[in-house]
Amino acid sequence: MFLSLTVRKKLKKFRSIRRGYYSLIILTSLFVLSLGLELFMNRRAVLVKYEGNYYFPTYGDVIPGTTFGLESEFETNYHELKELFKDHPENYVLMPIVPYDQYFTDLRDIRDEKGNKLYPPRPPNASTEHYLGTDTTGRDILARVAYAFRSSMIFALLLTLIIIVVGNSVGCLMGYIGGRFDILTQRLLEMASGIHVLLCAIFFATIFPPSLWSLLFLLGILSWMGYTADMRVLTFREKAKDYVTAARGLGAGHLRIMFKYIIPNSIVVIIMALPFQISSGISNLTALSYLGFGLPPPEANFGELLEQGQQRINELWILGSAVATLVAILVMTTFIGEALREAFDPKKHTVYE
Amino acid sequence: MSEVILSVNELAVTFRGEGKKRLTAVDNVSFDLKRGGSLGIVGESGCGKSVTALSLMRLLPKPAGDIARGSIVLSDTEGNAVDLVKYPQKKLHKIRGKRVAMIFQDPSSSLNPVHKIGKQLMEVYKLHFPKMSYEQRHREAVDLLRRVDIPSPERRMLDFPHNLSGGMKQRVVIALALACKPEVLIADEPTTALDVTVQEQILSLIKGLQRETGMSLLLITHDVGVVAEMCDDVVVMYAGRVAEKGAIRDIIDNPQHPYTKGLLTSIPSLSSAPKARLSTIEGSVPSLYDMPQGCRFANRCDLAEQRCEQQPALGRLGDGRYVACHKVAHQVVREEAHGSS
Repeated sequence: MFLSLTVRKKLKKFRSIRRGYYSLIILTSLFVLSLGLELFMNRRAVLVKYEGNYYFPTYGDVIPGTTFGLESEFETNYHELKELFKDHPENYVLMPIVPYDQYFTDLRDIRDEKGNKLYPPRPPNASTEHYLGTDTTGRDILARVAYAFRSSMIFALLLTLIIIVVGNSVGCLMGYIGGRFDILTQRLLEMASGIHVLLCAIFFATIFPPSLWSLLFLLGILSWMGYTADMRVLTFREKAKDYVTAARGLGAGHLRIMFKYIIPNSIVVIIMALPFQISSGISNLTALSYLGFGLPPPEANFGELLEQGQQRINELWILGSAVATLVAILVMTTFIGEALREAFDPKKHTVYE
Repeated sequence: MSEVILSVNELAVTFRGEGKKRLTAVDNVSFDLKRGGSLGIVGESGCGKSVTALSLMRLLPKPAGDIARGSIVLSDTEGNAVDLVKYPQKKLHKIRGKRVAMIFQDPSSSLNPVHKIGKQLMEVYKLHFPKMSYEQRHREAVDLLRRVDIPSPERRMLDFPHNLSGGMKQRVVIALALACKPEVLIADEPTTALDVTVQEQILSLIKGLQRETGMSLLLITHDVGVVAEMCDDVVVMYAGRVAEKGAIRDIIDNPQHPYTKGLLTSIPSLSSAPKARLSTIEGSVPSLYDMPQGCRFANRCDLAEQRCEQQPALGRLGDGRYVACHKVAHQVVREEAHGSS
C-alpha cells in the first residue's frame, strides 16, 4: 500500500461507519449497473436466434421486422416476435428482466380476473411483467424509475464536478490574490447569491428549451458561488504557512503553489462537500422537473413521476415508487457524507509521531 | 577571493502600520558578503534579521512589507551584477533557489505535508531543469540526501515529512536548498528549532557543504556562539540598524558598541560559579511604533548621555570595522585623511 498511515486510518474509520460504507457500496454498484441499464430494462431483446443466426439488438442500429420474417418495415416488436417464435423451437427471443424501456407504451389488451379491461395506470402485476405497475400512459414505472435514477445520478455527478472545479478555483484565487480582488469578488458573489437558483432556472427554462446539458450549464453557473468560501479561507490559512514561503524561496511560481501546495492541503473540504452536493443536485433536478421546467417529456424523471403520482393519489404505486426511490437515494448520499465527515475529522485521530 | 558576491547597500524595509503610518523595520543596513565567505547577522528577536533575509529573496509579505530604499546587488564571476530590488518579479524564480537559496527556521513547517520527500526534492529539478528525465531527477535527489548525511536515502525518498525527526527534516530542507548548487545560501536561524546536539550536526553539515561547493553563506542567528564557530565576518543588528560590524575575531576580542559588549557578556559560561546570576541587558527593544529619535540603544545603555539623543553615524574604525556609537566617535578613521587603507 502506498497510502500514508493517516489516509489508511481514515479509510478504516470510514469502513467502520457501517451505514455510510454500505450506502457507498450499494449506490456505486447501482450506478455502475445502471450504466448498462439497456441490458436489463429494454423493449429490445438481449438475444435473438433466428434461422441459425444470433442477433444482439440491445445496442446499435434498429433491426427492421423484415429481418425476422415480420411484415413491419419498422423496428421489430420483440414482444410479438416472442409470441410468434413459441411455435418454432429452433428460433428464440431472450428478453431483458423487464421487457420495457422508459418510453414504451403498453397498449396490450389486459383484463383482470372478472374479464374487465384494465386501462392505464395499471397496478403492479407480475404476469404482465409490470412489477411496479404502469403510469397514466401505460409506461412501465420500474423502467422509468431506473432510467430516472441513471439520468439524475449522471446529472448530479457532472454538476458536482463543475461546481467543485469552478467554486474551488475561484475560492483559491480569491484567497491567494487577496486584497482588493478578494473584497470585490466577495461582494459580487454576495450579490449573485441573492438570486434564487430555482427561480432563475425557471426563468431561463422558459426562454431556452431545457435539455440535460442546458440545465447542467444553468445550475452550474448558478450554484458554484456557495463553494468559494471554504476554499478561500483555507487558502488564507495555507498560504501563510512556512512551507509555501519555502517553496517560493526555491523558485516555485504561483500556479505551482496553488495546485501542489494549497489545494492538496485543503482537499478534505472538497471531498466532504461531494456527497451533499450530489444529493442537492438530484433534488434540484427533481424540483425543476416537478414544476415542469426540468428534463423535457418523455424523459423519465423523479419530478415528473412525483407530479403524476400526486395527480393520481389513489393509484399509490406511482407516487410510492417515486418517493421510495428518491428518499432511498437521498438518504444514502447523506449517510455517505456523514461517514466521510466523521472519517476525515482531524480531531478524531491525531497521530503523535 | 575577497570578491564581493552579494552587496547590500543602505537597505530600508518598511511595513504598513495602523492607519497610513509606515513602520521602518530595517533602516540603512549595508553589508557585503564575499564570494565563498560567510557572514553572520546577530541580534535579538525583533531586530530585523529575518526581515533582512526575506528582503534579500524578495519574499517580504505583500502588501504589508516593502523595500523602501537601497539596493541588493548580486554579482556573478564574469562581473555582471543585478540589483535584486529592481529585478522584475516575473524573472525572480530564476534566481530564487538557483542562485540564492534559503533555509528557514522551523523545519517542521518548511516542508509540504502532503508530498513525499522524494517528490519534493525532484520538484526542484523539475522547476529549474525541466529537461531532466525522471531517472536523472531521482538519481540527483538520492545523491542529495546522501550528501546531507541521511541514512538509506532511497527509503527516505518514500517518506512523508511527518515520518522524519526535526533534525532529519532540517537536513531535507538543506538538501532542497542545495539542489541547484546556489551561489549564496541564506540560513535564517537554521538550528533554533533543534536541540543542541542536532544543532551541532547541522552546523557542521552546513560548514562542510560550504567548503565542498564554495558557496557563500549568510547566517542569521541570535546566538553569538554559532556565528563565532561558523563565520568570518559579523554584523550586529539592533532595532533595525547596524550597531557594529567587522571580522568576527575583532568583535569578540574587542567589542566597541555597548550592545555588543552586553551581548557577549550575557553568554553563560561553564566556568562561572554555579548558580551565579546571568548578566543581562536590562530593558527591551523599543517598539516599532515609538522608535527613539537618537541612538536606539540609549534607553538600555549604561553609558548614555546627552549626545545620544542624536543618531550616531556608522563610523569606520579600521579595516572593515564599523561602529555606530558616539562613545567611540573619537577613534573613527577619517577616510579622506587616510585614503583607503
